[in-house]
Amino acid sequence: MVNHPREKEWEEKAKKELKERPLDSIVWETPEGIRVNPLYTAEDLKRIDHADTLPGLPPYVRGPMATMYAGRPWTIRQYAGFSTARESNEFYRKSLAAGQAGLSIAFDLPTHRGYDSDHPRVAGDVGKAGVAVDSIEDMKILFDQIPLDKMSVSMTMNGAVLPILGGYIVAAEEQGVSHELLTGTIQNDILKEYLTRNTYIYPPQPSMRIVSDIMAYCSKEMPRFNTVSISGYHMMEAGADTVLQTAFTLADGLEYVRAALRAGMDIDAFAPRLSFFFGVGMSFFMNIAMLRAARLLWHRLMSVFNPKNPRSSMLRTHCQTSGWSLTEQDPYNNIIRTTLECMSAVLGGTQSLHTNSFDEAVGLPTDFSAHIARNTQLIIQEESKVCHAIDPLGGSYYVEMLTKMIVDEAQKIIDEIEEMGGMTKAIESGMPKMRIEEAAARKQARIDQGIEAIIGVNRYATDDKVDFEVREVPDYIRNEQVERLAELRKKRDNREVERTLAELTRAAESGENLLEATLPAVRARATVGEISNALEVVFGRFVATTLCISGVYASEYRDTTVIESLRKRAAQFMETKGRRPRILLTKMGQDGHDRGVKVVATAFADLGFDVDISPMFQTPEEAARMAVENDVHLVGVSSLAAGHKILVPDLMRRLSENGGEEIMVIVGGVIPPRDYQFLYDAGVAGIFGPGTSIIESANKVLNILENRH
Amino acid sequence: MNNQSPVSPPGSAGEGKQAPVRNSDYYVNGVLASDRLVLSKTITLMESSLPEHQEMALDVVEQLLPHTGKAIRLGITGVPGGGKSTFIETLGMMLVQQGRRVAVIAVDPSSKISGGSIMGDKTRMQFLSAQENAFVRPAATGQTLGGVARKTRESMLICEAAGFDVVIVETVGVGQLETTVASMVDFFLVLMIPGAGDELQGIKRGILELADAIVINKADGDNLTKARLAQREYETALHLVNPRSPDWRPPVLTCSALEKTGIDEVWDVVLRHREKLGATGELEARRREQVFEWTWFLVDEGLREWFYKNAGTKTLLPAIKKKIGSGVITPTRAARELLETITGKE
Ligand code: B12
Ligand SMILES: Nc1nc2c(ncn2[C@@H]2O[C@H](COP(=O)(O)OP(=O)(O)OP(=O)(O)O)[C@@H](O)[C@H]2O)c(=O)[nH]1
Ligand SMILES: [Mg+2]
Repeated sequence: MVNHPREKEWEEKAKKELKERPLDSIVWETPEGIRVNPLYTAEDLKRIDHADTLPGLPPYVRGPMATMYAGRPWTIRQYAGFSTARESNEFYRKSLAAGQAGLSIAFDLPTHRGYDSDHPRVAGDVGKAGVAVDSIEDMKILFDQIPLDKMSVSMTMNGAVLPILGGYIVAAEEQGVSHELLTGTIQNDILKEYLTRNTYIYPPQPSMRIVSDIMAYCSKEMPRFNTVSISGYHMMEAGADTVLQTAFTLADGLEYVRAALRAGMDIDAFAPRLSFFFGVGMSFFMNIAMLRAARLLWHRLMSVFNPKNPRSSMLRTHCQTSGWSLTEQDPYNNIIRTTLECMSAVLGGTQSLHTNSFDEAVGLPTDFSAHIARNTQLIIQEESKVCHAIDPLGGSYYVEMLTKMIVDEAQKIIDEIEEMGGMTKAIESGMPKMRIEEAAARKQARIDQGIEAIIGVNRYATDDKVDFEVREVPDYIRNEQVERLAELRKKRDNREVERTLAELTRAAESGENLLEATLPAVRARATVGEISNALEVVFGRFVATTLCISGVYASEYRDTTVIESLRKRAAQFMETKGRRPRILLTKMGQDGHDRGVKVVATAFADLGFDVDISPMFQTPEEAARMAVENDVHLVGVSSLAAGHKILVPDLMRRLSENGGEEIMVIVGGVIPPRDYQFLYDAGVAGIFGPGTSIIESANKVLNILENRH
Repeated sequence: MNNQSPVSPPGSAGEGKQAPVRNSDYYVNGVLASDRLVLSKTITLMESSLPEHQEMALDVVEQLLPHTGKAIRLGITGVPGGGKSTFIETLGMMLVQQGRRVAVIAVDPSSKISGGSIMGDKTRMQFLSAQENAFVRPAATGQTLGGVARKTRESMLICEAAGFDVVIVETVGVGQLETTVASMVDFFLVLMIPGAGDELQGIKRGILELADAIVINKADGDNLTKARLAQREYETALHLVNPRSPDWRPPVLTCSALEKTGIDEVWDVVLRHREKLGATGELEARRREQVFEWTWFLVDEGLREWFYKNAGTKTLLPAIKKKIGSGVITPTRAARELLETITGKE
């Protein structure tokens, strides 16, 4: 087990300490499927090529900068946005005053998906999960008193990237700031939207054109602006382990590089402006190693294109701690988890960082929880003295070995994707999404059994409830936005709007640069929805294929008696009622969180339910019709983006309008405790919040079905 | 009318309130009035395994029977992920736009191990599902072939009685199911994809014999040439099987369900088939034949079910299973012993 001249001696001692247990029992099989020894030595290090390298020099495994945090600490950049532009602007200005270094804007889901706030499909979504932006007027308010020539601004926008980036550029223009002064990042990473984030608008091909048009425009006009933030974070949050995250993210990166090269750009004109975004979870050393491995691999992958500028193959990344690892139960534990993850990101050498708030599993951060999240970074940065060290874990036998293992495993998957013809092809085949969903289902099974520990959830659970304030975005925000829209449409020069939109449509048909063609429409006060529509008429709207895995949950759940007892109950139900319990699982509104619904679907089917699954983005009317037509016993709503108080009562109404009053409704996902009574009063038969074991929810669902008959 | 006494509907679980008790008039009148809710409930009633529901369903279907027979019955099978659902979405939308009323029964396999299922076909029929003139019903196969077959066939009849003039069944292309489906439709369409080389994608030759047309889907993008190639391969393969009808040589077509190309050509073929075999009387004959096949199928199934429910079989089964497992007796002897519990020693 140990590569060392005194291996035997060590083993003997080790065996004695372990008593009955075999030595092999302390080898760790990670979720990635890697077997990791508990101990590595100088002997191991000898076999690692990258061990004796320097930060700031290829292959950058020790960091992209020579001086790292000793020269300048990472940028504290907290992702935030909610309700209206006015409220978000105030929040930003307060945060900047309290020590945050850069802005990072979270838009609401209608904006992400290219709908104006008055669109009928977004009734439950306006301002709920980010800030609502309908036009340049909102953008201007968002950046009010924030000097865009000085402030680096990161915007998480992928679907409606043209009107939003356009809005930012025009807002700067109207502040008197010229394009070349703008610094910051636009996420503009459409590939992972099809994989996990689900805020796409158009099909992959035209979307990829938009990505390269933006790269082309910015390489000329905004040389200091990062044009794509190639993101693995969302994959991790959807279930990917460190190897999958690394492989899929870098494979996405390769695809963008090729798209830009195909569009005729020089590698050094755009590659230095590609940045990355990784998610950092609880597995402390694995996540440190992942960041190091990713830098090494990117350098390797980019070398093939022979860049002249060293920055072209240098991976610079933003990181975010994992929201998924945070729990509704015993929520102050989350502060500790975030601190650990924060340390991981720092030791891994991130360039900027977001730390999550402890109320993550119940709602958007409040001023108080955001304050603690920010201070977590400030304390590590300013009190702990870690910044004096450059890559302190470089040369650590253990971390260097982990780094190598992740490099090797991720390379294998990248090769596999290359063989398929690249990431676009791989995504079309459904392979990456299935792998991620499989990993998520396995993880759920391990948690539900208590094999993977989550303190306060499946171990050391406590009944003590902590009471804290939860942010709620009131429903009237939508009315405010709708009114502002109506006013805008009255005030602006509508002929100019129509003309610029027609020009944009023509540009979409002809192949001109789309960002350039968007700007006149933004200046004319065309809305996000109108601009998106002008493109949609040419590109069409993408409809995702819902693929489902099966058998994974049950096979990972080792205690077969538990599984069997549920299957028996389902079979018994069939014997007395004439058919299996049949449930429609649905996602309503623009909420794109599908990890939960997919895990519940596959697990329930494994437990003997007949599961109907709806397409994404249903209106309550559509969900109700599907429930009635499929004649299910119950509808299971999965709601994570705070639309539940509007969408669920609407669904109940539509059900009874369609004759489905016998069909019961249950709700799962992110439901703040104070909303439970509201939902029960609306007639909901059960609520299953974050952390509920699926075995428990399946049993409860059967109870509900049996009792109510 | 042999109206039965009302029964509670299958497996409904009302909001605390008892589900209303319904008689066969409720179902029959509702279906004939093309009431979406009742149509859906009638299919559930018919799917139910409870004897009292089956009894009533029988009555309902019998009353509906005179109102059936006018629809075009189309069966679609093919490799998993070949694009069957997407094809139905595109074809269905085209038909609805032509003013037709389209019903779809989408059959998904139940897990043999858990008994459960995930029915996802309908997510790929988003636009069709939203049409006033469409009805899409996902169904799980359940555990017995007979179960699926009965449910599928009768679901089709119920939809016909509700006035749908095209009824489409989607099944996955593995196992025996599709042969059964072939025997309940007017036109049996096998959907394939290009790029699988010369192997016939694990599809059983038997299916080619039943096909009224083979359609190579996903003929788009980089796939175009591969689709042409596959087309020729299947044409050759079809030459080697006996045609089902002397008057119909199953054509091989290409289409893209995603890009909506070649779909109207497929529909033209369906209509031509109908015209041709309608004129020669073969279509009628096929349907008559199907009714007989169907009857025998049900007898087979009935026998099988009765056999397993037979008390003698039930008590003997565990012991015999053990004996076969440990190799004490041969399967032949085991089968004989089991059969003797009902036939008696001869
Ligand atoms: C993972 C995650 C993501 C992933 C989603 C990946 C994916 N494909 O699903 C990514 C990173 C892409 C993402 C993005 C965003 N997210 Co997010 N995300 C989360 C996170 C961290 C975990 C959710 C999760 O998947 N948990 C694991 C699954 C298994 O749990 P679950 O869904 O809760 O399901 C369990 C139970 O609830 C229950 N259950 C659920 N449904 C059902 C149904 C039935 C019938 C039953 C019986 C049970 C049941 O059983 C499950 C097992 O226990 C939550 C915070 C949190 N900790 O919950 C935020 C969270 C949901 N996200 C949030 C936001 C705002 C966003 C964004 C909109 C941000 C933005 N403005 O850009 C984006 C856009 C996403 C979109 N398109 O909608 C907010 C929502 C705020 C609110 N509700 O007020 C949250 C709460 C975080 C926060 N506090 O800010 N997110
Ligand atoms: N390129 C291309 N892809 C298609 C076409 N038709 C379907 N697809 C894709 O193929 C995948 C499977 O499509 P489905 O319609 O679900 O196939 P199916 O045969 O019904 O699948 P199962 O019912 O799961 O066996 C989806 O990703 C579709 O988008 C097509 O004509 N061209
Ligand atoms: Mg299908």
